[in-house]
Amino acid sequence: MMQYFYCPKCKEKWQYPVDKCPNCFEKIQREAQGKKIKVLSVCKVQIPTFLHEKVPYFVLLLEDEMGHRWVQKSEREYKTGDEFFLEKARDKKNALVLWKIKYDFYQAIEKIFDLLSIDVLSHFKILILPTLETPVHPYFKENTSPEFLSAILEFLFQKGIKKENIKVLGQSFNQFDIGACAQKSQLLNVCQKFGVLPFDLSQGEFVLKENLEIFKEVFEADLILNLSMLKQSKMQSLENLLKLIKKENYFAQEYLFSKEEILKKLLEILPPVLTLGQADVVQRKDKKHFILDLVLGSFNVLNLERVFFEISFPNEIPQFLKEIDLKEIEIVGRKISEVQVLAFSL
Amino acid sequence: MFIKGVGMTKFDYSQKAWWQFAFEAALEALEDARLKIKDIDAIVFTSISSCTDPKQEHQTHKISLLSELFKTNCPIIETPSVCAGGGVAMWTACHLKGFKNILVLAGEKVVNSITEDTTDKILSAAERIFEQSEGMLFPVQNALLWQEYSKRFGATSDDLALIAFKNHQNAVLNPKAYYYKRPVSLEEIKNSPVVASPLRMMDCALSVNGGAAVVISEEKTDIQILASAFATDYLLTFNRKEYWHFPAAKKAAQLAYQEAKLKPQDIQVAEVHDAFTSVELFSYEDLGFAEEGKGAFLIREGIVNLDGRLPVNPSGGLKAKGHPISVTGLAQFYEIVNQLRNRCQERQVKPVPQIGLCHNVGGAGGSATVHILRRLS
Repeated sequence: MMQYFYCPKCKEKWQYPVDKCPNCFEKIQREAQGKKIKVLSVCKVQIPTFLHEKVPYFVLLLEDEMGHRWVQKSEREYKTGDEFFLEKARDKKNALVLWKIKYDFYQAIEKIFDLLSIDVLSHFKILILPTLETPVHPYFKENTSPEFLSAILEFLFQKGIKKENIKVLGQSFNQFDIGACAQKSQLLNVCQKFGVLPFDLSQGEFVLKENLEIFKEVFEADLILNLSMLKQSKMQSLENLLKLIKKENYFAQEYLFSKEEILKKLLEILPPVLTLGQADVVQRKDKKHFILDLVLGSFNVLNLERVFFEISFPNEIPQFLKEIDLKEIEIVGRKISEVQVLAFSL
Repeated sequence: MFIKGVGMTKFDYSQKAWWQFAFEAALEALEDARLKIKDIDAIVFTSISSCTDPKQEHQTHKISLLSELFKTNCPIIETPSVCAGGGVAMWTACHLKGFKNILVLAGEKVVNSITEDTTDKILSAAERIFEQSEGMLFPVQNALLWQEYSKRFGATSDDLALIAFKNHQNAVLNPKAYYYKRPVSLEEIKNSPVVASPLRMMDCALSVNGGAAVVISEEKTDIQILASAFATDYLLTFNRKEYWHFPAAKKAAQLAYQEAKLKPQDIQVAEVHDAFTSVELFSYEDLGFAEEGKGAFLIREGIVNLDGRLPVNPSGGLKAKGHPISVTGLAQFYEIVNQLRNRCQERQVKPVPQIGLCHNVGGAGGSATVHILRRLS
């Protein structure tokens, strides 16, 4: 479960994703992750710190069949010698995968697909909808980061998807030119590097569904990925989905309905969309950042936003999400208490 | 190299500026060496961040501030290496060529406000992404190491309590220790709250503020540095082959004995890096004072007590003297030099030792230095 990297020549291993072996200068490769994981030791922590406020919690020393050892926080008390495993989601449609990243988006994406039992077939036509809102550099954390988009493209290519079957979508609802946003955010560079098509939705074909004009290919795609950059100021995953509506139609609808009403209707119309929420570094309302090192994945975008706000800003859950009962959400991968750091978000 | 003088502030929570701790220690060391600052040809300085509160007097360009304070334009080198900063600064100074007198200096203001800054600065001495984000802060890290050691060799929490008790008894006699004249009973130690199972609060070293300084010289004095050894290890604790020990400390010790042409049995007094009592126990083995798995016998038999065959941490150690991070390594020199010079009054090791050892560790074994000193008759 812990991702290791190795030099194919000398077999030296790293947990840090270094680029090349400093002895052989070979490019390092991902190692297959261990499947049989054993609990070597358990430490019960009883004194809170600002990074881990809720006690008691447990820190497990784990070891896989290849002898890799690492630690993991757990809300469940294991015993030495117990087997440690991750349960897959039972309700694929509504479950949420919570994954803590360690410099490595790829592993998080791999785990989300695995734990939600999503099959990706090589002939799939795939639409990717990143957060693309302002023409700023990636460190502002306004848009989906180039590393996140790169990781998803690498993952899809690994599954045999052809580059011509992938489209990266964007549409500007504000004063900024979508091309400038794509360029400054470096998402355009990623598309060019991987040879996939960046597509301005305003140039697309739309179909009318219950007064909403929606991008036609949404109903033809085998998989739609909503790559949202999660934030405190708005429900970004939902905002992303609005971009699938024709701009003029959306603003016309806004005269008649609230944003929440439009969203509800849109969610009823859209086919299943897998939202992958990027929360490695989270932007607060004051535009300052804090580190969470998380990726969230779910076909239920409302559940995803609800869990994100519960982890990051539990005192500021948007009204639209308050009705969702947290206890009803099946969360796999990690638990909320294991990943929550409130010190910087409050 | 030889040692001319040593200096150290009292270790406590006093709220002087970080540089005042360093300056005070430097003055004492210079006086002890019978030198003036203009006699110093180079300074090696160490600290983690000078002051844990970034909004206060934290200074990144510390060497320039030191130039200002000491009114000197000599080379000043900064060697931050967290808890092993003092040892690494000394190792650097010992390996510098072409300087007659070198001032090795450390000052830290670790405890200075009720904010997360102090914890955060100390935490930055270990792995943050793979380990600390998973709840493995220093006590947990050391608890997991200790669990493995204990599983393999059968040592117990009672052994750790004896180590804490010994170091507290010694600190009571040390005017510069935080716990000077403040005795702590064995019962208080054994009943202190569990922080990270099985380690208790009284197994953990005490964060304090302070400064320490050593003047070393090419000129012969009464104290010779027989060996200066340094080794590093992986930051990720469990990627090390043996995680129930500190292999870096073992390696540094082997190199030091080799350089000094001595054996562990030749050591007559030692300052050992007891960031946690468990670390002191298995360090007995890393330093060759006991065979692997037999460290507990040294404390059970009283061998490492002040009146034992090999007194360890007569100063009170990090546990009870206090642990101002980078300063610790140089404070160990302060103690050993004073022990060799028969200056320690109530806590003086008898008979006066001729050979002493300083063992300084960074993080949870990520770096380690071992120095061996000899009093010349």
